[in-house]
Amino acid sequence: MSVIDLSNLPYPGNNLRSFLDSVCEENELDFAAYAGMDPIAQTVHGFVNYPDEWQTRYVNEGFQHRDPALLLASRSIAPVDWQRLRGETTFRDIFRAASDHGISEQGLTVPVRGPYGDVGLFSVTRNCSDREWGLLKTKILGGLQTAAVHLHDNVIQSHSLTRKLTHPSLSARELEILQWIAAGKSQQDVGDILSISNRTVEVHLRSGRSKLGALTTPQAVGRAIGLGLVHPS
Amino acid sequence: MIIVIDGLNRHRYTRLLDEMFALRARVFGQRLGWDVDIIDGKEVDQFDALDPAYVIGLNDTGHVVSCVRALQTTGPHMLSDVFHDILDGEPPLRSATLWESTRFCVDTDILERGNTRNSVSYATCELMAASLEYAKNSGISDIITVIDPVMNRVLKRSDCAPYDYVGSTKLMGKVSAMAALLDCSDARIGKIRAFAGIEGNIFVSDQRAYELSDEHTPTTAAPKVEAVSADAHVRQLLEEYCVDQITDADTLEDMRAAKRLTEMLVEAGMVDKKHASGTHG
Repeated sequence: MSVIDLSNLPYPGNNLRSFLDSVCEENELDFAAYAGMDPIAQTVHGFVNYPDEWQTRYVNEGFQHRDPALLLASRSIAPVDWQRLRGETTFRDIFRAASDHGISEQGLTVPVRGPYGDVGLFSVTRNCSDREWGLLKTKILGGLQTAAVHLHDNVIQSHSLTRKLTHPSLSARELEILQWIAAGKSQQDVGDILSISNRTVEVHLRSGRSKLGALTTPQAVGRAIGLGLVHPS
Repeated sequence: MIIVIDGLNRHRYTRLLDEMFALRARVFGQRLGWDVDIIDGKEVDQFDALDPAYVIGLNDTGHVVSCVRALQTTGPHMLSDVFHDILDGEPPLRSATLWESTRFCVDTDILERGNTRNSVSYATCELMAASLEYAKNSGISDIITVIDPVMNRVLKRSDCAPYDYVGSTKLMGKVSAMAALLDCSDARIGKIRAFAGIEGNIFVSDQRAYELSDEHTPTTAAPKVEAVSADAHVRQLLEEYCVDQITDADTLEDMRAAKRLTEMLVEAGMVDKKHASGTHG
């Protein structure tokens, strides 16, 4: 398993490292890291906004081969709080080393499972007390889940073969809702027109955005129009 | 009482998992007549190999009375791979904050009627509240759940009616199945708890989780280590070895390990404490 720093590679339309910076900024976090395994392209991608010396040491000491935040979190469907890993010897070894670089052992890893056996692990850390961490986590976890899947999908689809296999397949309901949004209707209007609850509109919109690799609804509408799934009005 | 078993801790709970797979075999194989594979009285499918999370209800004696399985909708799950009939051929929902729940069941053979703590109704509400709480605490906003019409009626009666459905009801075995949507909101969790009179934390404590694990065998006492009477020469060599290990330790970690080893040998009666405790002795 080798770590490719995507942030040093040309990456059209995306700067993944600045994405990590903005996630940290928005969520009061110190650092973020992503590692993704793509079985189709047979590659492992990793990029972080940790201090450079820690990145170098992490790779030189081969921590990616035994870091429980990576190895164990991929077996969970829920975000894994590192508090759950404190009993692991390897966790203590790595975090003793990390503390030399100002990295706290307070953190969590969001596992992402993709449709082709691809797995992404999005980790964030923040130096604070257990109490503060608990409060922060409750506030940011939903947003982190969305950010993690968005990041993972973008990395996986940067490989051309994978992109060809992952043409977004939207349901009739998702397309119908996006079509009304493209026509300028609000979410509430769409619910009224289709006689469904606002929550139903919301859950389909979330799904539509996820399938189109978009973080916002306007972005999703734009991409759906670009793919000919929705007609501009 | 509820325990969550996932890919990180499942190796410690083979007994509970076996009881759960047996319950699923009785409910889905026999009672509902679904086309499921049952081997050795256990119902296990390909999704159980994907490290799902199981939310499991236990009675006071620590036996499984209810269970449900959760998977992410971003990757392989039942609605994407097996239940497409229910979706009328449409692709399933996919979202970072939507989980799929399947194999929801309670043990109607063990549990009583009525609404005591040992009733079907209480166990159903407790499992429902726990699975919504576990999802909510993981940043999940909604659950899509595959259920039969009986379960659908139970949800409605328990003040937990789905806010919508996806696809349509389809016959599966003796009964039909449908995909219902539930929000993991405090409002919904509060309503189910109020309906069943569930108060306080419903998840097991760390201590209880340990007692429920395979490694905990309360009935048999730890085997007593017999004192080994090594002859004087071997004893001296071992004591020297212990002293060397402690004095030559480069790191705190090595030092601790050496001391632990020495303590073990002292306890086993293989070395003398005053000779083997190194530079401080």
